[in-house]
Amino acid sequence: MAGQGYEHEVKFTKIAIIFSFISLGLGGLFGILQLLERTPGMPQLLDRQQYYTALTGHGVLLAIVWTAFFIMAIAVHVVSRELQVRLSRTLLNITLLMTIGGTLVAAVPILTGDAAVLYTFYAPLKAHVAFYLGAGVLILGTWVFAAAIFKAFIEWKRKYPDKALPIATMGVLTTLIIWLEATPPLVFMVLKDLVPMALVNKPVDVLETRTYFWYFGHPLVYFWIVPAVTLWYFAIPKLLGVEIFSRQMAKVAFLLFILASTPVGLHHQFLDPGVSDAAKLLHTILTFTVASPSLLTAFNILATLEKGGRKAGGKGALGWLSKLPWGNPVFAGLTLAFIMFGFGGISGVINASYTLNYIVHNTLWIVGHFHLTVGTAATLSFMAASYLMVPRLFGRQIYSERMALAQPYLWFIGMAIFSLAFHIVGLFGVPRRTYDVTYAGLAPPEWLPWLIMGAIGGVVFWFSGVIFLANMGLTLISGRRITEPQPCLFTLDFSRLPAATRLDSIKFWVGLAIVVILIAYFVPFLEIYGRGLSPAPPVTPEGLRLG
Amino acid sequence: MAEKNELMQEYIWIGIIIAMLTTFLVILGYVSEAKGFDTPSSAVTCDVRQVRKGEILTPGVKEVAPGIYEVNLKARMWAWIPNSIEVVNPKKIIFKVTSEDVVHGFQIVGTPVNFMVFPGYIAEIQWEVPEDFEGTYLFVCNEYCGLGHDTMWGQLIIKRE
Ligand code: HEM
Ligand SMILES: [Cu+2]
Ligand SMILES: [Cu+2]
Repeated sequence: MAGQGYEHEVKFTKIAIIFSFISLGLGGLFGILQLLERTPGMPQLLDRQQYYTALTGHGVLLAIVWTAFFIMAIAVHVVSRELQVRLSRTLLNITLLMTIGGTLVAAVPILTGDAAVLYTFYAPLKAHVAFYLGAGVLILGTWVFAAAIFKAFIEWKRKYPDKALPIATMGVLTTLIIWLEATPPLVFMVLKDLVPMALVNKPVDVLETRTYFWYFGHPLVYFWIVPAVTLWYFAIPKLLGVEIFSRQMAKVAFLLFILASTPVGLHHQFLDPGVSDAAKLLHTILTFTVASPSLLTAFNILATLEKGGRKAGGKGALGWLSKLPWGNPVFAGLTLAFIMFGFGGISGVINASYTLNYIVHNTLWIVGHFHLTVGTAATLSFMAASYLMVPRLFGRQIYSERMALAQPYLWFIGMAIFSLAFHIVGLFGVPRRTYDVTYAGLAPPEWLPWLIMGAIGGVVFWFSGVIFLANMGLTLISGRRITEPQPCLFTLDFSRLPAATRLDSIKFWVGLAIVVILIAYFVPFLEIYGRGLSPAPPVTPEGLRLG
Repeated sequence: MAEKNELMQEYIWIGIIIAMLTTFLVILGYVSEAKGFDTPSSAVTCDVRQVRKGEILTPGVKEVAPGIYEVNLKARMWAWIPNSIEVVNPKKIIFKVTSEDVVHGFQIVGTPVNFMVFPGYIAEIQWEVPEDFEGTYLFVCNEYCGLGHDTMWGQLIIKRE
């Protein structure tokens, strides 16, 4: 029964996953090219124009497209199976049309070099209008997607009004709520400012547009992380054959993510002129609040791992560690991603302290940081989830179990080297987003060994990505067919679901989140609009002033 | 029994989290106050077109009092104006920086000076220069500002006499 009766959901999931894999491959190719380019002494294959084109492609394809499509795939899979509901076929089809269509429209100017503005597109640097419109349609498509999921959820809720929310569904809903908190003001700004800027050279205020961008930019990171957290909460206990250590704490964590993931964007603007220290302090305090659900997750998953290790016969303070199923690629991928999330969290708290931020701002430290979070905590978790989902969706066994097992370890080792080197060399002041960091020979000599170490680590985890995609491709083409139906991991027995408690009423928390967001953004926007805007005319990346 | 034990552990952990985050915030507040920590929060705006014509913020280095320097900088794709700054026995340098075109980032490698530069806004920051800072420091643009971004750098020369 598990595989049948979900035809259009399965079709959606398959298309979304394949599209996400293509994005990962292309984005990864850009990644390795730019890594080599910016390391002195490595093969330099790009000119300046190509470098920033590749960097824009890398950011957009990996931070937005790969993650968004994979997350939509998991969301459909989880919600339809866990709640045993059907999703609207029309809404899913519109979603695919808009999200894939929008991506392709934005991809054209990126690839032709007419949108070398990076994935943050800070105005008044100007891209071709298709870049902004394509991105806008992609985001609108995700709203249609959210509607499909919420519609199905509401149907389920009508049928089972008193049941507690299943944990994976709660993770998906949290992800979508955060996305819906984050995106509307961004779309508003793009339509109000950036599209007219691209079409008729309308001057725009830098601080205003940046504040809208980072209003979206921080919750974006929770849009990546919450699905990974959901996979850990859901799959790690299953793989260990135990219950999660604390179901309540998991739910509290989701609610805190809903509450505090958005009103913190100014921590990306600590070094911006025109934002008062008071507003920056307010967002710092809220940022420390949103660190708490991550810490709750860290404890909960660690305690679950210990429970599993002890059940398997592990003794002593650390003996349980060796009893964990490290030979299972899904477990290894998820757990290694979780460990890297811990380190990413540590450097994140450092970034969030404005007394330290000026040391690392816009240096390679930041690049080291987010390759641990989105680049590993999310990406490696999604890869592990692929080993679980792809056989069930496509009815084929993973082509090579050995490749699948080596892959997460290789990613982990490569990333450890890459990110350590980038964190350290960032402290020495190497700027990010820069084609050439030799500065005509004036760059401090202590940069070089760390840059080379970073390049070595990057090649290792890039190679792990190649193994992953090759294995997936071979699985789809020539994996052994699975004949007997596979049990679906997500299917639940509703009679065993406990009764709903206060922790299952998301509405209250969404309301509270809106209040906190309004307060947190009232302050900077009052400053920006109260003072009066100071618009600047657009300029192309080639340096052409338009007005 | 086991349930109770787990609940206890949950509370202990929640306590640790709250204590930890509060400690971080207190340290942050203390450092910020004790060191007179300064972010470029100044709220001075300016007209980009006037900046381009040179009517606002004349670039240059001025010693306004013994050891106190005022440095006016303009960012332009792709140069800092001026791209060479020389100061003798500085105690404090006050930077006032704006851009003629797009967003740039001003960072003096090996020092705490690092902030964003916007067209339409004048960023202002003060740096209390420690006594042992001497020699030539590279300064760069650390925010992507178009294709020539990596060529946008200069030098700060600190002389001690
Ligand atoms: C596959 C191997 C990868 C390599 C070799 C790589 C390498 C790099 C390098 C060297 C940079 C910095 C470039 C610069 O600042 O000049 C960078 C930036 C970035 N990477 Fe990766 N990366 C890889 C995978 C990923 C993954 C999987 C993700 C996320 C899912 C990711 C997300 C990003 C983002 C968001 C940026 C910032 C782009 C920007 O500054 O506009 N990368 N990457
Ligand atoms: Cu953030
Ligand atoms: Cu620049």
